[in-house]
Amino acid sequence: MPEVILKNLPFLLAGLRLSAELALLSIVGGTALGLVLGVLRYLRVPVLTQIVQAYIVFVRGTPLLVVLFICYFGLPALLAYKTSAYWAAVLGFVLFIAAYLAEDIRTGLRTVRPGVIQAALAMGMTKYQVLRFVTVPIALRNVIPALFNQYVRLFKFTSVASVIGVNEFTGSAMLVNGRVFAPITIIGFVALTYLVACLAISSVGRLLYARLAVKT
Amino acid sequence: MQYTFDWAPIWANRELILDGLLNTIALSALGLALALIIGVVIGTVGASSARVLRISAATYVEGMRNIPLLVHMYFWYAGLAFLRLPPFACAVFGLALYSGAYVAEIVRSGIGAVPRGQWLAALASGLTPLQAFRYIIYPQALRIVLPSLAGIFSQLIKDSSLASVITVAELTYQATAIEGQTFRTFEVYIAISLLYLALVSVITYGLLLVPGARDAEAQGLSDA
Repeated sequence: MPEVILKNLPFLLAGLRLSAELALLSIVGGTALGLVLGVLRYLRVPVLTQIVQAYIVFVRGTPLLVVLFICYFGLPALLAYKTSAYWAAVLGFVLFIAAYLAEDIRTGLRTVRPGVIQAALAMGMTKYQVLRFVTVPIALRNVIPALFNQYVRLFKFTSVASVIGVNEFTGSAMLVNGRVFAPITIIGFVALTYLVACLAISSVGRLLYARLAVKT
Repeated sequence: MQYTFDWAPIWANRELILDGLLNTIALSALGLALALIIGVVIGTVGASSARVLRISAATYVEGMRNIPLLVHMYFWYAGLAFLRLPPFACAVFGLALYSGAYVAEIVRSGIGAVPRGQWLAALASGLTPLQAFRYIIYPQALRIVLPSLAGIFSQLIKDSSLASVITVAELTYQATAIEGQTFRTFEVYIAISLLYLALVSVITYGLLLVPGARDAEAQGLSDA
C-alpha cells in the first residue's frame, strides 16, 4: 500500500467506520419505515394510502442531495429545532431510502400467492395475524435481492453526507487529499474500498436469499 | 410552528433557477447520451457467447457501479486535476461512466430477452450480424427494456445534482446560492425538488410514449 495511505490509515478507517455506521442506522430505520409505508400501500387504507403515495412520488423524484439539504437546513428552520449534520444525514437517508424500499416491499406483498393467504384465513387466523405471520414474512424473504440492491445504493450514497459536513469515508479522504495532495492514490484507494464493501454487501444479500427465499 | 413562508425571493431569483435548470438539462442530456453509447456497447459485449467478452463486460459493470458517483466525479475533477478539464465535462464523464454500467446491465438483459430464434432467423435470411442487431435485436430489446431504462434516466437526472459539489452551476448549485442570499431555505429546496420531479416525470412518461413500450410493460417484462 502506498505510504500516503498507510500514514493516514487510522484517520481514513475512522471515516470508513462512520460511513458504515451511517449506512447501518439508515438501513435499519429505512427498512422499518419502508415496511410501514409498503404495508399501508398494500392494504389500500383510504386517505393514508394516497398520502403515502404522494410521499413516495415526491421523494423518488428528488435528488438525495436535495433531501439532505432539506433535512439539514430546511426542516430545522421550518420546525425550529437544532440538529447535527450527522443526525440530519441519518434522517435524510432514512426518508430517502424508505420511499424506494416501500415500493419493493409492496411488490413483494402483492406477489404472495392468494392461495397461501386463503389457507391462512381458512385456518382461523385473523386478517392481522395473516399479515403479521404469513404475508409480510414471505414478502420480505422474497424481496431480499431488491432490498440489498437498495442497501448497496445507500452505502454508496453515504458519500454524499460529506457535502453537509459529515466527515465519513469520502469526506475524510478528501481532507487527507487537501493536506498531502495525492489525488489519484487517495481516490483510487477510496474507490477500491467502496467496490469491495459493495460487493460484500451484495454477496451477503445473495447468501441470505439463497437460505431464506420461500419457494411457493 | 413559527416559520412564515415567503415565496417571493424564489420568484425574484427565477432567472438563476431557470439558468440552473437549463444546465441540469444539458448535463443530464449529455450524460445520458454518453451513458447510452457506453451501455449499448458494453451491454452487447456482455450478451455475447464468448466467455472472455462476458467477463470483461461484467468487470466493467461491477467496477463502475459499485463506486459512489461522488467518487467518480472527484476522480475526474480532483484526481485528474492536471488535465484541467472544465467541471462540467468532469460531471458529464462521471455521470456517463457510472450510469453507463447500469444501462449496460439493462441492455444485456434486454438482448437476452429476445428469443434466440430471432437472431438465428436473421442470420439465416442473409443479414450480417451487424444488420441483425440493427434491425432485429435492438428494436425488440429496446421496447422490452424501456421501462427500466426510464428508471435509470430519471436516476441520472437526480444524480446530476452531485455536480454541484464540483462547482457546476446546475439547479442544486443555484439553489444553494439563492439560499445563501435569501435564507428562504425550505422554499428554495422544495421549489427545486418540484422541478426535478417535473423533469423526471417528463422522462419517465415520455419514454413510455415510444410505440410498443406499453406492450412490454403490460407483459410484465419491466422491472422498473
